[in-house]
Amino acid sequence: MAIVRPEMKSYIWLQTTDGSIQQVEEEVAMFCPMICREVSQTGKGSSKNYAIKLPQKVNPAVLGLILEYCRFHQLPGHSNMELKTYDEKFIRLDTASLCELLAAADSLKMKPLVTLISRALARIIEGKTCKEIRETFHIPDDLTEEEKLEPLRNLGDDPRVRLLNRLYARKRKELKERQKAKNVEVAEECVDKRPVDDLLSFINGGDGDSKCVKTSKNKKKNRRRKDRRRKTTSNNENESQEEDGVKPESHNGEMQDVSSPRRALVLQDLSSTTSLSDFNFDFNEEDVDDGLDPALKKEIDREVEEFARILNTAWQDRVQEILSSGQERRVLPFSIHGNSSVAKYSG
Amino acid sequence: MANSSGQDIITDLPQSIIEIILTKLPIRDAVRTSILSSRWRYKWATLTQLVFDDNCVSQFNDRTATENKLVKFITRFLFLHEGPIHKFTLSTYYLQSSPDIDQWLLFLSRKGIKELVLEVGDEEWFRAPSCLFACLKLTSLELLRCELDPPPEFRGFSCLKYLNLQQVLVAPEVIENLISGCPLLESLTLSYFDSLALTVRAPNLKYLKLEGEFKDICLEYTPLLVVVSVAMYMTDDKTEPFEQSSGCNFDKFLGGVPCLEKLTGQIYFTKYMSIGYELGKVPLTYDRLKLIQLYQVSFEDMKEILVVLRLILSSPNLQELQISSSSNAIAASEATDLNFWETDCPTGCTLKNLKTVKISDLSGVPHEMEFLKFLLKNSPVLEVMSVLPGIYVSCGKLNVVIELLRFRRASAKAEIIFIQDQV
Repeated sequence: MAIVRPEMKSYIWLQTTDGSIQQVEEEVAMFCPMICREVSQTGKGSSKNYAIKLPQKVNPAVLGLILEYCRFHQLPGHSNMELKTYDEKFIRLDTASLCELLAAADSLKMKPLVTLISRALARIIEGKTCKEIRETFHIPDDLTEEEKLEPLRNLGDDPRVRLLNRLYARKRKELKERQKAKNVEVAEECVDKRPVDDLLSFINGGDGDSKCVKTSKNKKKNRRRKDRRRKTTSNNENESQEEDGVKPESHNGEMQDVSSPRRALVLQDLSSTTSLSDFNFDFNEEDVDDGLDPALKKEIDREVEEFARILNTAWQDRVQEILSSGQERRVLPFSIHGNSSVAKYSG
Repeated sequence: MANSSGQDIITDLPQSIIEIILTKLPIRDAVRTSILSSRWRYKWATLTQLVFDDNCVSQFNDRTATENKLVKFITRFLFLHEGPIHKFTLSTYYLQSSPDIDQWLLFLSRKGIKELVLEVGDEEWFRAPSCLFACLKLTSLELLRCELDPPPEFRGFSCLKYLNLQQVLVAPEVIENLISGCPLLESLTLSYFDSLALTVRAPNLKYLKLEGEFKDICLEYTPLLVVVSVAMYMTDDKTEPFEQSSGCNFDKFLGGVPCLEKLTGQIYFTKYMSIGYELGKVPLTYDRLKLIQLYQVSFEDMKEILVVLRLILSSPNLQELQISSSSNAIAASEATDLNFWETDCPTGCTLKNLKTVKISDLSGVPHEMEFLKFLLKNSPVLEVMSVLPGIYVSCGKLNVVIELLRFRRASAKAEIIFIQDQV
């Protein structure tokens, strides 16, 4: 004669990733397919020492919710209406909790719960604008304006291409921002140019030091951009040397002897820091017809020039300072390269 | 469950879950997620269940403009889509038959389509291209307002389980061959056909729904049929062709369905079944038939009453019976054959499991009342009989009630509920 003790329930032991172990009534735990499989296949869960290790996504709080769900649903005798009402109440959680719950339910292979929460999330997403959706789920807005407007190109394409596109777009954004900032000082800009040109000719006519290098470098930059396809960096250097015409030539001798190694060094360094962006400009201008009208393209070209000059900000500042200080020779740190030896030539 | 503000809570979910969420969104919203962030750009592009309808595009007053927009949207979507497509639904009022649909079907046939629903505009019926018949992985096909003309080498869809054809222009042999060519077919729905004579051979068929004008239905080989629902339309002039069909319709239709569990017959169903009916033939017993619903039974026609009786008496496990009457009280007041109920009616037949009876549109004609009397006398476990009188019966209601009260009831538990004026 078997003695049946109704108060004896069997429990299953579950362990969450934080190490805490809890015991759950068997019929409740077995409602979850993953636990059910673990019990039947490995026999675990029967005691505290052999607790079933739950997947990583299941923390104690989420486990509590899931077990509540199991507890209600495994009881027979609920009408469809009752189940529905319970489900509707169950998903009245904040969005973050819903997402956590969804990940946990998925790792526990609870399909009906996954469907329920997915439907709830879909209802949250539906009808919202993208901005609202980003806010609700804290999705970072890392697409550029261009990318948002672009029809989806680059499907399954080279990730480098996409990276370059993004860099290009970022640069353009920066340029536009700087453009906006500079618009305030439009008049000054115009003024700025000429003094620099005059200054350069003055410098070239006067000192013949490595400042000249910088000048030619600027021009080289512009040329480089256009002639990139055909020429290598070294060729550029040579060419632009020639193109620079009268100014450096008269001092070529001096410059060559004194500054050529430096110049080469400087040019190389500069090219290494800016190759990517330069490459970007080239790549995109040649390759991609991004539907910009010529006017905007010119604008961008101008910006690129501006940008190139901005890269040489230190020089500009130096130059201006020299101007304002009235040709006072000073030793200024050459910040771009941190090469103190170059500073000698700032003189 | 606090999250640090600004931490993305959804993008890291597994792609399978994100696809479940996106599938529950209208497709337009699903595509718009592409600009949420860089990681969301192509999450929508691998969806396998696509539902396109007129809500995909904002609608203009100009029909052509809306149509063009819809075509562009779907074409672009499919062009950018990656991976297989299992379910495709196109349900549109604006779009007519167009070469674009043909192209989409060709595209789908290469993407392993399994479930296809196609419902296009009703001005010009869409002619199904031959690539539709190349979708050999189809398990479910639903077509509305369509013209089907399969190529001669078409042998059927070997995986098809669900077939629903509504308002489809197709030759009868084609349908028969189609049904025979789909050995796994479990559910067949044919609606709004004109004068269709059909012989159905479907070894796995479980669910059959027919609606329309059928000349002759023969369920030749449907041993597993469980649910049958038939709505037989007929114009009055067409009753003659009905009479000419050979054999007993009852046997042809329900002669080979031993597993039947639910039978629904509407409009002229009982009339159709009564043609060629011969009392005295050994009927098939429907051991599993639990629910019979017969609408618009004409109690003026003795033959139809016989059909109903045969059905009831052949179903020992019948639990629920719903009948609506289409009798005309005035015309049937001089009823003939009333002695049938006393003389020829089968005696000693107990409806051992009948628990619920619902009668509606009752006019109180003699045959109706005799029928109810018969039911009450022979149903020992009857629990509820609900009676809903026809709306045209105004003064006869009380008589009906009086008569009903008199009838002997075999079941002590039987409740007769007279439903009044359901507005």
